Amino acid sequence: MIYIGAEEIISPLGKSAEENFSAILANRSGISLADHAGFNGDSVYISKILDLSEENKFENLITTVLNQVIIKIDNKIVSSERTVVLLSSTKGDLDNNINDQFGKTIATLTTQFNLANQPIVVSNACISGVLAINTAGNFIESGLYDHVIVIGCDLISNFVLFGFQSLFAISNQPCTPFDASRNGITMGEGCGALVISNSKMIFKEQPLKLLSGTSANDANHISGPSRTGEGLYRSVKRTMEMNDLLPADIDFISAHGTGTIYNDEMESIAFDRSNLTPIPLNSFKGYFGHTLGAAGVIETAISMQMLRNQMLIKSPGFETTGTSKELNIVKENKPANLRTILKTASGFGGGNASLLIQKI
Amino acid sequence: MSFITAYCHITSDSCLVNGEEIVTRDSLSNDSWLKQIYKSQEFVYPKFYKMDSLAQAGFLASELIKRAQPNLSAYQDDEIAMLFGNQYSSAESDIRFKKSYEEHGAPSPALFVYTLPNIVLGEIAILNKWFGENLFVVLPKFAPDFFVSYAKILMSKGSEAVLCGWLGIGEERSDVFLFLVEKQGNAGMEFNAGNLHKLAGFELV
Repeated sequence: MIYIGAEEIISPLGKSAEENFSAILANRSGISLADHAGFNGDSVYISKILDLSEENKFENLITTVLNQVIIKIDNKIVSSERTVVLLSSTKGDLDNNINDQFGKTIATLTTQFNLANQPIVVSNACISGVLAINTAGNFIESGLYDHVIVIGCDLISNFVLFGFQSLFAISNQPCTPFDASRNGITMGEGCGALVISNSKMIFKEQPLKLLSGTSANDANHISGPSRTGEGLYRSVKRTMEMNDLLPADIDFISAHGTGTIYNDEMESIAFDRSNLTPIPLNSFKGYFGHTLGAAGVIETAISMQMLRNQMLIKSPGFETTGTSKELNIVKENKPANLRTILKTASGFGGGNASLLIQKI
Repeated sequence: MSFITAYCHITSDSCLVNGEEIVTRDSLSNDSWLKQIYKSQEFVYPKFYKMDSLAQAGFLASELIKRAQPNLSAYQDDEIAMLFGNQYSSAESDIRFKKSYEEHGAPSPALFVYTLPNIVLGEIAILNKWFGENLFVVLPKFAPDFFVSYAKILMSKGSEAVLCGWLGIGEERSDVFLFLVEKQGNAGMEFNAGNLHKLAGFELV
C-alpha cells in the first residue's frame, strides 16, 4: 500500500493545512483586489500572500513548509538515503534568477536539510502538482525510493500576471469556475507539501492511501483545451481502471476548474464521457486562485483534509450551470461520508493528469 | 528487457542520428542552426517557425528518430510515453517574453505560451497524435540513472515505448540528446545507465 499524509499548505488563507481548512469552512477566500497590479496599471483580483516578505519568498516558503512537514513525520526520514524530494513548480525563483530558476533553491534544500538524493523538479505547467504526486507514487511502487516529499510552490509575478493578461485569460471578478458568468482565471500563489511513503509508521497522524494515477496528453493545442476532453477522459479512464474503481466508487471530484470558458467546458465534457457527472465536484480555485505548479499539491492536500474531516466543500463562485454538460457542483459545505476522492488537472502543453486518494 | 533503438544528437555544430553526422553547422549561414537542420532535411511543417528553440530542437530530433525507426507508427496512440528534461527550464523564452513587456511595449502572447518547458511535449504530441504519458523534469545535469529508472517504470505501467530527451539548449550551446527506448529491439543497445552514459557523449559532470 502507498500512504500519503503530513500535508501542509501556506497560502493567503493560513500557514498550515489545518488553518487553511478552517478558513475554507468559514467561507473565506484568499482573493482580493490588487490596485494597479496589472500591465496597464489596471486593478486585478489575485490571491497573494501579503504578510510574508517578497525577498527570497520562493525559497523561504519551501524551507518553511518542509520544516512543518518534518514535524509531522519521523524526523530521520528527510535525510534518509531512501528519500527523495520532488519540487513541483512552473516558474520557480524567476524574479531572482531568470537564467536558472531552480538551481539555488535546490542547492539550499540539499545543504540545509542534509538531503541524501538530488531533488527533482517536475515542471509540466498546471498539471505539475498532480504529476509530481503520481511520480512519487510510481517511485514508491517500483521500490526506487521508500519515501517521497512532494513540495509545490509558485509565486505571482508580473511575468505570469502580464502573460495571462496578454492571453485575455484573467477574470475581471474573483474567478467563478463552472459558473455561467465565468470569464477567466484569478492568479494565486502558495506552497503545499505532502509525504508519500511505503510505511505507515513514519506518520505521526494517521495517513491516507494514495492510488497513483496517470497522465495523458490531449494532442490538440499547446495553449487551448481540447473540445472533446480527450486527454482528461483518457487519463481518468486509465486511473480508474488501473485501480479497479467504477464511477459509483468515487465520492468527490476535486476538479481543475480554472474559470476560463474553454477549460471548464472541456472538463464537463470529459466528466460526462467518464459517467462522472452525478459525483459531487468542486474547484478550489475560488479560495486559492490558480497557483499553477502548486495547485495540484495544494488541492490534493485540502482534499485530504476533507477526508479527515468528512466534509464536502463548496465550489465558491458557482451559482448557475455554465457548461454544456451539467455537473453536480457542491453549493454548500456539509458533512458527508467520504472515502475516495478523484483529483484531476489539465494544463498548457496539452497535459492532463489524475489521481485518487482514499481514507483507510 | 528494453533497448535503445534510435538516438539523435544536436550539438553546437553537428546533428547526428545513431552517431552518424547528417548535418554540419554552416557558420556563415544567415539561418539559425536549428533552421539549417530543418532546411537540409527538407522538413515541411510551417509551425516550426512559430516554435521556440526548445520546441524546434524537440521537433527536429524526434522527427529524425522517427525516420530512423519508422515502425513507431505501429504503436497504439497512447503507448508511446515522453520523458524529457533539461537544466534551465524554458529560460531562453522566459528572457524573451520578459523583454516584450519591459522593453518592447507589451507582453507578447505568442512568446508567453512558450515560457513552460513542457510545451515541447505538447508540440510533439500534437504532431504525432500521441495521447501517452508525459513528464518534464529539471535537473542540474543529465542523469542517466533517472532516465533509466523512470522510463522502465513507465514501461511497467502500460507504455510500450518511451521517447526520452535531454534538451540542454541555450544561446551559446546545444546539448540535445533524444533517444527512443522500446521493449523489443532487434538491433538496439540494451537500455542501461552505462550504455546511456556512453551514448550521451556530452560532459556529464
